[in-house]
Amino acid sequence: MDILKIEKTSDTPNVTLDSTNNLFEFSYRSLPENAIDFYNPILDWIEEYSKNPNNETVVDFKLEYFNTASAKQIAKVLLKLLEISKKAKVKINWYYDKNDTDMLASGQRYSKLINLEFEFIEI
Amino acid sequence: MNMLFLRKIGKTKMAESKFANLDFSLSLFDAMQKDNLSYIYRGIFNQQITDSILALTETNLQTEEQSSKMKKRVYAIMVEGLQNVTRHQNEKKIIDEDNLGLFVIKRTEERYYITTGNPTEKTSIPVISKLIKKINSLDKDELKVYYKQVLNEGELSNKGGAGLGLIDMARKSGNKLSYRFLDIDDVNTYFYLHTIPSLSNDENEFKKIAKNSLDNIVEIHNTLNKEDIRLIYNGILNQESLMGLLHTIEGHMSDIPDMKNKMFYIVLEMLQNIVKHGNNPTNHEGGNPGIFFISQKNGEYLLNTGNYISIEKVDALNEKMEYVNSLTDIELQDYYASSLMDFKINDEKKTGLGIIDLRIKSTNKLSYYFKPINNKYQFFALQIKL
Repeated sequence: MDILKIEKTSDTPNVTLDSTNNLFEFSYRSLPENAIDFYNPILDWIEEYSKNPNNETVVDFKLEYFNTASAKQIAKVLLKLLEISKKAKVKINWYYDKNDTDMLASGQRYSKLINLEFEFIEI
Repeated sequence: MNMLFLRKIGKTKMAESKFANLDFSLSLFDAMQKDNLSYIYRGIFNQQITDSILALTETNLQTEEQSSKMKKRVYAIMVEGLQNVTRHQNEKKIIDEDNLGLFVIKRTEERYYITTGNPTEKTSIPVISKLIKKINSLDKDELKVYYKQVLNEGELSNKGGAGLGLIDMARKSGNKLSYRFLDIDDVNTYFYLHTIPSLSNDENEFKKIAKNSLDNIVEIHNTLNKEDIRLIYNGILNQESLMGLLHTIEGHMSDIPDMKNKMFYIVLEMLQNIVKHGNNPTNHEGGNPGIFFISQKNGEYLLNTGNYISIEKVDALNEKMEYVNSLTDIELQDYYASSLMDFKINDEKKTGLGIIDLRIKSTNKLSYYFKPINNKYQFFALQIKL
């Protein structure tokens, strides 16, 4: 399967979705004005990947900030991963800055709403 | 007629009782209708803040049809001015609130006004005055010669370049430099440097304008000191300009990391709300007109935005604001969760999470008011306390 790699800009994150090397990561910031457009190719990739996922998928969320428009798209990403978790192991590593309790709270909210395994990692 | 309208609206749509600095917010709004752009920063200057101010102004310069010669001049004057303030703020070891550095850029239909302010010791008054008087007495060619002379002699202190900076600003502005010293105490004075770049040279007209506009800046500065306002932006809001403002805030808040994150989130949502939901009754393109200002009082930050909104959207927004303010913490979390997971409305504009998020992150009720403008638009002001 093709690797999806998106380089960060001042308002969008680094995204790596690489099934061959089993690397799945979102980092930096997600603040785009139009979050739907940004996340559509990501959702399409995960949809495709879900047809034949790896035995174990660990997704690292290392975001510094995201806006509410992205929050909704991230929820969609997690729901797609939830589908995968029905046939393979899926784990979310949710990183947060120790000064940023809002980022921790956001992760905890997702973990309550979406039945995936979450680990919260302070950096 | 207008008053009646206001009163009628007032009963149902103003939640202004808890709105701090209400008068100031309204006066800024009046200014917003007159100026095309104003940006004021009052505080500690560092590289990040300087960069973000330049970037933000550049974005605005790009969206306005001005001659590229003027743009370059404005930019060059800003660079020099910001360097001067940054250099001279370090002179005083103790910086108290009234002595913070100041940067102001203002643009009306006709021209730009660039002002910097910084405290300095009274002993430097004669030196600076003499230098500016000399610069102002020279014509374009003489300035060029004088610049080279000063450059070669390196005659000014090793802090240096201050003299060169002033000569350079005068050359770039194509105009005289205006300045003023105002006493701070027995030892210190506050130095304002005011530049009005011009492509044509009408000295008499300029003198009058400069006096009035500098008076105006000093007056604004007094208000900023009184209300402890740190940053004001009045101009077109789009993704680029809001990123610039966020960058300034990061620079300003870098020594208070936990507050910085919270402020970043809140300002981001407030400004993106304007970009997405605001309206534009003006003929300036590239975003929606809006104002944003931050004040600081007793360790609390007040974050303020103001923008135009179409009259037909007022009721729905007002209802939403009232509803969000009426909820308990637990209800807010539930409301956020249900909006987050509601994918039926797949329309970016209607996610509706922004206001709920602002209320949750600020942990305070949201203050706001609507002020009628005409039969099409109202002005919507939002204030968040941190």
